[in-house]
Amino acid sequence: MFNTGTIYSNFTPLVKSPVIGYRISGEDVLLILKKLTKRNFSEEHSIMKLVELHNIDGTILDKCNVVYFKSPNSFTGEDVCEIFIHGSPLIASQLEQLFKDFNISGLRLAQKGEFSFRSVLNNKYSLKQAKAINLIINNESFSSLEYNKKILFEGDPVSGLAPLREDIVNLFSEITASIDFVDDEEFNFKKIIKKARDFFNNCNKLLHKNRTKIEQKNICKIMLIGPVNVGKSTLFNKIIDKDRAIVTEIKGTTRDILSNQIIDDGKKFEIFDTAGQRSKQGRIEKFGYKKAQKLSKEIDHFFVLKDKNTNKADLKQLFKDFYINKNFTMLETKSDQFSYNSKNIKINHNLNREDLFKRINLSSIYKRYIAHKNHKLEFNSSEIEFLERILEYESDILNERDILIIAQLMRNILDDFSYEFGYINNEDVYDRVFSNFCIGK
Amino acid sequence: MEHYDVIVIGAGHAGLESANICEKYGLKTALISKNYSDLGKLSCNPSIGGVGKTHIASEVDILGGVICKIGDKSAIHYRVLNLSKGPAVWGVRAQIDRDLYAKNVQKYIKSSKIELIEDEAINILQTNKKIIGVECLYAGKIRSKVVILTTGTFLNGKIYFGNEVKEAGRIGNSSSKKLARFINKNFKTMRLKTGTPPRIYTQSIDYDILDPQPSENYGIFLSYFTKQNTNKNINCYITKTNNKTHKIIRDNLDKSAMYSGIIKSQGVRYCPSIEDKVTKFGDRNGHNIFLEPEGLNSDLVYPNGISNSLDKKIQLKFLRSIKGLEKCEVDQFGYAVEYDSVDPRELKNNFETKKIENFFLAGQINGTTGYEEAAGQGIYAGIHAVIKMKKVKFDNKVFERDNSYIGVLVDDLTKLGVTEPYRMFTSRAENRLKLRTDNSYERFAININRKIFNKTDYNLIYKNIDNEKKIISKLESLKYSPNDLMKKKIKVKKDGKIRNGFEVLKFLDPTTNNFKKFFNITINQKLLTKIYFDSKYEVFYERERKSYDQLNKNKKMNLTNIDFNKIPSLSREILEKLNKYKPVNLHDAGKISGITPSALFQIIKHKRNKGTKVA
Ligand SMILES: Cc1cc2nc3c(=O)[nH]c(=O)nc-3n(C[C@H](O)[C@H](O)[C@H](O)COP(=O)(O)OP(=O)(O)OC[C@H]3O[C@@H](n4cnc5c(N)ncnc54)[C@H](O)[C@@H]3O)c2cc1C
Ligand SMILES: Nc1nc2c(ncn2[C@@H]2O[C@H](COP(=O)(O)OP(=O)(O)OP(=O)(O)O)[C@@H](O)[C@H]2O)c(=O)[nH]1
Ligand SMILES: [Mg+2]
Repeated sequence: MFNTGTIYSNFTPLVKSPVIGYRISGEDVLLILKKLTKRNFSEEHSIMKLVELHNIDGTILDKCNVVYFKSPNSFTGEDVCEIFIHGSPLIASQLEQLFKDFNISGLRLAQKGEFSFRSVLNNKYSLKQAKAINLIINNESFSSLEYNKKILFEGDPVSGLAPLREDIVNLFSEITASIDFVDDEEFNFKKIIKKARDFFNNCNKLLHKNRTKIEQKNICKIMLIGPVNVGKSTLFNKIIDKDRAIVTEIKGTTRDILSNQIIDDGKKFEIFDTAGQRSKQGRIEKFGYKKAQKLSKEIDHFFVLKDKNTNKADLKQLFKDFYINKNFTMLETKSDQFSYNSKNIKINHNLNREDLFKRINLSSIYKRYIAHKNHKLEFNSSEIEFLERILEYESDILNERDILIIAQLMRNILDDFSYEFGYINNEDVYDRVFSNFCIGK
Repeated sequence: MEHYDVIVIGAGHAGLESANICEKYGLKTALISKNYSDLGKLSCNPSIGGVGKTHIASEVDILGGVICKIGDKSAIHYRVLNLSKGPAVWGVRAQIDRDLYAKNVQKYIKSSKIELIEDEAINILQTNKKIIGVECLYAGKIRSKVVILTTGTFLNGKIYFGNEVKEAGRIGNSSSKKLARFINKNFKTMRLKTGTPPRIYTQSIDYDILDPQPSENYGIFLSYFTKQNTNKNINCYITKTNNKTHKIIRDNLDKSAMYSGIIKSQGVRYCPSIEDKVTKFGDRNGHNIFLEPEGLNSDLVYPNGISNSLDKKIQLKFLRSIKGLEKCEVDQFGYAVEYDSVDPRELKNNFETKKIENFFLAGQINGTTGYEEAAGQGIYAGIHAVIKMKKVKFDNKVFERDNSYIGVLVDDLTKLGVTEPYRMFTSRAENRLKLRTDNSYERFAININRKIFNKTDYNLIYKNIDNEKKIISKLESLKYSPNDLMKKKIKVKKDGKIRNGFEVLKFLDPTTNNFKKFFNITINQKLLTKIYFDSKYEVFYERERKSYDQLNKNKKMNLTNIDFNKIPSLSREILEKLNKYKPVNLHDAGKISGITPSALFQIIKHKRNKGTKVA
C-alpha cells in the first residue's frame, strides 16, 4: 500500500488560522529545503529557523519558521522537516504547487497514516505505539488518552494482555499433549477444563474492570442522597442552574431519579437527584429509592445531605442502602435556619451559585475521580474489543465434553491472539509441549 | 541393458510402498535393495501405528498400500489409544512380530511383478537434468525413466555407542557413501540423528514382578480390510526407571555420544533419549519403560523408552538397576545414528526434485522419522511417478492439507522444511475433526481404483459406501419438530426448527440399540460411530468448507497494493518471503514455500479490516 519516496502533508487543518504546518519526510528533504530556502540545513538538526521560502522564479512565497530533523532522530526515522507557513489556505496551495513544480521524482502527497507507518517501519514506534497515536487523535476519553500517551512516550509496554497470551499457549499446549501424547504422561480432563475456566475468568475480570471505566468516558457521576425533605432537590436545581426538580415542603416529593449534566471548569459531571430516605415510603417512592440504590454502584461520588432533624439511625440506614465507600461529602443543609457545630460543609438555599461551588469544591472531587480511574485503566478500546471477542467462546468451550471440539475452538482463540499479538504457530505450541511434558519414548 | 519405467532404491517402508503402487498401476518396476534380508525390516521398534501415525497409515491403506495389511497379518498385540476421545484421534497400535513381518513382505514382493535387484546403488544417472537410470555396484548401469530414492538413514550413516563410532546405515548395514556423494553434490542436505534402545533377552527378565499390559482387541485394526487377527496375542510389560538408574546415567553423561559432544546434529524432541529425560525431567521419580516382545518365536525384547547412546558398560549397569531387569542380558546395545538427509524444500509438491526431472525422494531421506511417515511418502511419490509416466487421472485435491494427513506432511515438508526429524501429530492438521481413520475411504473415494484392489477389497469398500448412503438417506427423510424431540426426552432449543434424523443423531447416545429404538433402522456399531461423529462435527465441517470456499473465492484477490508488514500476525519468515516474491494475488502467495493457509487467512482478514485497524 505504501511505497518509498519522499512524502509531504499538512498536519494542521487547511483553514484560516494563525499557522498551517507542513511535514516532509524522506530522502529528498534536504534537497527540497535547499530549493525552498536556498540554505543548507544539514547541520541544523532540530533548530527552528526563520527563513524566506522562494518560488521558482525567485519571488518570495512566505517568510516563516522551518525546522529540520536529521535521520534517524526524527519522528519517522527518516530526514524530516516541518514548515510553519502563515495560516492562509491560499499560501498552502501555492506551497503544494511548488512541490509539484520542483519535479523531484518520488515526491508526493502522503497517504493517511503514512508518517506513523514509516515510524513503525523504522522502529521509531512499535505498532502498538502507532495504534496509540491514532487513538490519541481520535481521543475517546480522558483516561484512555492518558493510557495511550503512556504507550507513546514510555515506549511499548508489554501489553496487559501478554500474560493471557502466555496462558492460552500453555493451555493449548496441554490440550494438544493430552491428545497427541496420551501415552507419555497422565492428563486429566477436569483439570484442563478448570484451567480453561480460570483463563476465561481472568479475561472476564480484566474486561469488567476496564470496560465500565471506558464506557463512562470522562464524566464524573455525583449523586445526592439523604433523608426526605433535607433539601436535595433544592441543591440539585442550584447545581444544574435550572428549575428541574420539584421542591415542596412535603416529605417524599421526589420519587424518580433525575439527572443532569453540567460542565464546570472544563470538566464534565453528571448530577443525580434521588428520592429521600424515610422508614415509611410509599409504593412509588420505594420503587424510586430502590432504583437509586442500584444505580449507586456506578456513582463516583456522593453528596450526603442531612439537617438538624436527621437522626443517626436514618443516616446509618442510608449508608447501608447505597454502594458507598469513602467517596462522599457530608453536607449540612438549611444553615440559614439551623446552627451546626460540626466540621461538615454547611449550605443553604440563600447562597449564590458561586459561593455554593466554592464550598462543594467539584474540581477536587474530579481530580480524585480521575486519579482513581487512571489507576485502573490498563487497556485501550481495541484491546477491550479483543477480550470481548475471546469471551464469545467461553460458554461453548466450558460446556463441551469433547476435547477435540474444545481444541478446535481453542485454535480459533489462538488465531485471534496471533492476529493481535504476533504469530503463534504449531512450533511454538510444540516447544511448550516438549518442555513442559516428558514426551516420547 | 534392462529398461524399467521406474527404479526404486531402498526396500524400507517408503521404498516398498513406492514399488508396490507403481507396479499396481502397471509400471515396469525394479526395487533395488542392498540385501534381500533388508526387505521389510523394522529398523527400530516392533510396532506400527499410534496417534497420528495410524492416521497416515490408514490413508496409505486406502490408496492401495501394504503397511497396514501386512501389519495386521504380523500383529501379535493391539492397543487403541485415545479411545475415550472421538474417533478423529483414535490411534490403533499393533505390536509386530519382526520375523513374520519380514517374511510377509518378502512373500508379497515375490508374488508381485516387482523385480527385486540385490545390489548397492552407487550413482544416479542423468542427462540434461533428466533421469536415465541408476548405476549399481555389481550390476552396473540400469536404465529407467524414473528413479525413486528411499535410502532412509543410510547416506553417510554413522552409529555411536558412547565414544565408539562406526560407519553404518543402521546396525548390521553398511552406510551408502558413494550415493551420498551424488546427493550432497546436487542437493542441499543436513545432518540429523536418531537413536534406538538396547535389545534384551526375554529369559533374563523377571516378568513375575512386573505389571502385564494385555492386548486389547476391539476389532479395530490397522487396515480397513482386515476382518480378524488370527495370530496368538501376547502381553507387553511395564517397568520404570528409578533414582538409582538416574544417578548412574547422570554420573556418566560424558560417556554418552549425544552428551559428550561427539554428535552435533539435531535429534528429535519427541523421541528423547533416556539421557535427555534424566537431564530435563530429573525431578521425576521414574520414567515408564514398555517391554515389547519382538515376536512370538523371538527371544528378544524391545524396551521402549530408554533409547540411548551410552557406553555399553554403562548401558548394562543402568539396565540392571531397573525392576525386573536386575539380571538382564543384552543382545544388542542401544545406539545413536547420524545421517545425511535432503532439505525437503528441494522437492516440488509431487516429491520430484526441482533440479532433476523424474527423480523422486521419499522416506526418512526427506527429514522425517517413522515407518508410517515413510510409507505415506513412498506411496505419494509412487503415485506421482505414475501420474507423470502414464498420465493417469488422479484427483490431487485429496492431497491438499485440508483433506489428508499425507497432504499435511507434504505441505509441511516442501514448504517449511525441517529442523529436526519430522513426525506426524494430529495437531499438525488444522482440519483434524475431518481427517479421521474411520472415514479415509470416504475422503479418498474418488481415487479408489479397480486396478489397485482385488475384487473382494473393492467390493467391500463399495458395499459399505452403499450401505452408508442408504442409511443416511433414510435418516434424512425422517423429520422431527422440537416438540417431537421433547416427547422423546431429547433437549433441543425450542426454535421451531424441523430437524432431520441425521441432525438429531448427535443428541443420542450412539449405541446400536438406541439407534434401532429411535429411528427403527438396523446398523452396525462401526458405521454408527462414524455417522454419529459426522453428525456431531457437521457444524465444524460446514465452517471449514466455508473458509475453504473463501480461500478459493479469494484466489484472485489482488495483493499488489497490500503492505504485508502491516499484518502483525505474520511471522517474520513469512513476511520476508511475501516481500521477496511479491505475489500478485492470493493464489500466487499460496504457492510460495512456507506460506501457510492460516497466513492466507490473515491476509484476507487484513484486507477486509483495512482502515479499521491502525494508522
Ligand atoms: C537406529 C534407528 C532408530 C530409529 N528410531 C525411531 C524411533 O524411535 N521412532 C520412529 O518413529 N522411527 C525411528 N526410526 C526411523 C524409522 O525406522 C524410519 O523412519 C523408517 O524406517 C524409514 O523408512 P525408509 O523407508 O525411509 O528407510 P529405511 O527403512 O531405513 O530403509 C532404507 C532402505 O534403503 C536401503 N538402501 C540404503 N542405501 C542403499 C543403496 N545405496 N542401494 C540400495 N539400497 C540401499 C537399505 O538397505 C534399506 O532397506 C529409527 C531408525 C533407526 C535406523
Ligand atoms: N430554610 C431553608 N429551607 C430549605 C432549604 N433548602 C430547602 N428548604 C426547604 O425544605 C423543603 C424540602 O426541600 P426539598 O429540596 O424538596 O427537599 P428534598 O430533600 O428534595 O425532599 P424529598 O424530595 O421529599 O426527599 C422545601 O420546603 C424547601 O423550601 C434551606 O437551605 N433553608
Ligand atoms: Mg426532592
